[in-house]
Amino acid sequence: MTGRGVGRVLGTQHTNTREFRVVLDEDDYLQLDDLVVVATEVPKEGTVRTYGVVTEVEAVYEGAQYESDTHRIAAEGILPGAKVRSARVAVTRVEPEVWVSVDPGELVARAEGAEREKALYVDEMERPLPVGLGRDGAPVYVDLDFFDGRKGGHMSISGISGVATKTSFALFFLRLLTARGDVVGEAAANLRVLVFNVKGEDLLWLDEPNARFDEEAALAWEKLGVAPTPFPSVSFWAPPRPRSGDVVVPDTGGRLEGVEAFSWTPREFVDEGLLRFLFTDASDARNQLSFVSERVQVQLRRFARDVAGRPGAIVLRDPATEPDGGPVTPHVGERVVVDLAGLIGAIEEFLDPPDGDPDPRWSGRTQVGTISAFLRRLHAAEARLGHLVRAGPSRRIDRRAAQVTVVAIQGLHDLAQRFVVGALLAETFAEKERSGRRLPLTVVVLDELNKYAPREGTSPLKEMLVDIAQRGRSLGVLLVGAQQTASRVAPEVVENAAIRVSGRLDAAEAERAEYGWMLPSTRARARLLKPGTMVLSQPSLPVPLVLEFPFPPWATRKEEVAPGADEDPFEGL
Amino acid sequence: MARIHVEGWAPDHGASTVVDVALADPEKVDEEVEVAGEWAPIDGADDGVEEVAFVDGVRRVDARLTLDEEDGPVPGLCGSYAVGAVRWDRRLRRSRFDAVSVGRLAVFGSGRIAEVPTAGRRLVYRSESIPDTDPAALLRRFHGAMRTAEATLAEGLSRDGVFVVADGPLNDFSATEKVGYVKSHRVPYLSVERRRVVARLGPGQRTPLFLIGAGGDYPRYSWYLRLAAIPGGHGWSGVARAEVASALSLETARRIADRVTAILPAVASEPHLDARAPQNLVPIGALERELRRRLGDPGVVYRALREATMERTR
Repeated sequence: MTGRGVGRVLGTQHTNTREFRVVLDEDDYLQLDDLVVVATEVPKEGTVRTYGVVTEVEAVYEGAQYESDTHRIAAEGILPGAKVRSARVAVTRVEPEVWVSVDPGELVARAEGAEREKALYVDEMERPLPVGLGRDGAPVYVDLDFFDGRKGGHMSISGISGVATKTSFALFFLRLLTARGDVVGEAAANLRVLVFNVKGEDLLWLDEPNARFDEEAALAWEKLGVAPTPFPSVSFWAPPRPRSGDVVVPDTGGRLEGVEAFSWTPREFVDEGLLRFLFTDASDARNQLSFVSERVQVQLRRFARDVAGRPGAIVLRDPATEPDGGPVTPHVGERVVVDLAGLIGAIEEFLDPPDGDPDPRWSGRTQVGTISAFLRRLHAAEARLGHLVRAGPSRRIDRRAAQVTVVAIQGLHDLAQRFVVGALLAETFAEKERSGRRLPLTVVVLDELNKYAPREGTSPLKEMLVDIAQRGRSLGVLLVGAQQTASRVAPEVVENAAIRVSGRLDAAEAERAEYGWMLPSTRARARLLKPGTMVLSQPSLPVPLVLEFPFPPWATRKEEVAPGADEDPFEGL
Repeated sequence: MARIHVEGWAPDHGASTVVDVALADPEKVDEEVEVAGEWAPIDGADDGVEEVAFVDGVRRVDARLTLDEEDGPVPGLCGSYAVGAVRWDRRLRRSRFDAVSVGRLAVFGSGRIAEVPTAGRRLVYRSESIPDTDPAALLRRFHGAMRTAEATLAEGLSRDGVFVVADGPLNDFSATEKVGYVKSHRVPYLSVERRRVVARLGPGQRTPLFLIGAGGDYPRYSWYLRLAAIPGGHGWSGVARAEVASALSLETARRIADRVTAILPAVASEPHLDARAPQNLVPIGALERELRRRLGDPGVVYRALREATMERTR
């Protein structure tokens, strides 16, 4: 036994293969999440080592029969009584695999060094990536095979908002993933990360050092084997400011420099079938709008023709009359589509011409009411995300520009947010589907997953996310999804995440079946977790672990940005 | 017409006042050693003694034995007893168990003796013999062994300067500061008129000292004290008797009597928690539980004994 003895296995209760209790020595202690090991002599098998993690710690006056005896022992001192402290241990591993219970009275030691790694199955992980520090200050590992698609994929992060842990942990994880190429191996090459900034502008400073970063945090990062620096390679993208005319300026508040504006041209809009992402409301699927949308989409593809000398713009011409596919010069008076409003106008001409019946090729046998609803929805979308579609040079988000691509959608309307997420996910997934290879990996970080893949209803975006959750693993598209309440997210998405992480949870939420992977004691504690403390579950470990992750070396707000060399010396003059 | 009272002690424990005149000792009782005239309750006085050791013992007959001799069966028994102390540190307000020891003894009648086979590492009985064959006599011998162990422990502690309150009548009459504490009243020591003062005692008050057995083998000073006022109790409920060796000076005896009378109400048990309240003192109750536990599980001991004897006959 390498560790220090802290107590002995309790003998007044049955031990079993799942759990046992430890009566602690008077001069030592165990706290929650401590790792312990017990050696048991098994006839015919020899020594069996049982590893476990402390899930509860208890103390009682032995000799006290009645509650009032507490006073007699502690205050008056007339009753002899001994304080007995004990700890409950959940078994994590038995080695060799002889599933016997530990013997009562056996010495319980802290699992340290190699024993600790055994308790955490680190020795069996091919690529153990540190993802935080345990209560004992030593790293806690995640088996990368279960994240990057070899044996499992995806990560699901839950936790109430305001404690700012979900995104922080996701980024912390990404930083380790991108910095520990030595562990990640071949999957580290050309690894790309797509992050959506959905709240505040927290993620727009990932490349700036944090002024509040201190020594203590630096020490923790050192233990994780990563130099505490901001993300070295990040590109920032934001939608263009609406109604800014020809000048395309990214629509962000605190940061403008280094942020690129993104938009799609009508041509891209049509080619990539983005129309469907305008109908992502759960109610849209119910009233046949998706049917019209699909039909219109098909016709758009057939009718769209490039316009000579106007990059990205299109005109809609009947392919039956003009089969040649090259760029065309618009006729006098012909509608040239340069933005979403123009596109909607052109669609309207087919579906609801002012002087006649709808073109059946476009409308099918849809009832008039449905067509009007479809058009109303299109007009509403135009008001909300019209500025995201404009002709001109391509302003697509270039996910190859940097290792981490941050897309700022916090300022957009919900509908526009869903549109952008849908468009980018579709693009990413289609790209990987074409290549058919798992590597290089693409990691997508998406907060508020319940908005994009809600439990109830169906939408093209939800289908997309479910598809990614189910097939993304083999295609190397890995979703790091975060949500306040896993119970509101499509079960297919949550269930496919091999790695589950939770920060502080709402008390009622913690009781739900979605958190069945936690031990009862962990659930009870999930209400009390501090920011920076998470519960982690992974397939290679039978019990969830509690870990802490250090303060980030990158800024999460403008005020945190450390004054650097590129500061404008004339600022304020 | 006298009133009827239901005894506070649970019926299994008998009553705290079973006055058996037949037991009345022919021992002479001198009622005038402290107060010659009319008796009145005396207030106890806490002299701030720092430590009190409560000493007690428990016993259990583990098995009845029979020695199969050629001239007929010889009765025997084997049993375990444990003695120990609770040391109450009044300054630190802490109590702890001390000097707990377990003895195991086999007693055979008719002057015969045999070795009890060793049953397990810890289950070793020493053997003794008595000439008698009466089962009660076997038990008396066994009980006596426990009482001796108790007395030895009490004497040892008091020689170390610890003030001892031992459960039961005194067993050792040397001039050390130890008190025998008697929970129940079987013998009417006092004359009828002096007895009346007992009913007038308040909690923390005592009767004057009286000397029992002067000139005999077991001379001691004794007094009655009231531990608690029991709601609905009779004149003698909540009253205990204590005794010290009369080898001590009367002055010392008075000081100890005052001390014990003042201190013991603090450790008296509560009627809702203890079937023998208030006389069964809290530390002694705890000690008895602990000692019984130390005797080991009776079922385990019994089976171990049977197994050991079976193996020998096989």
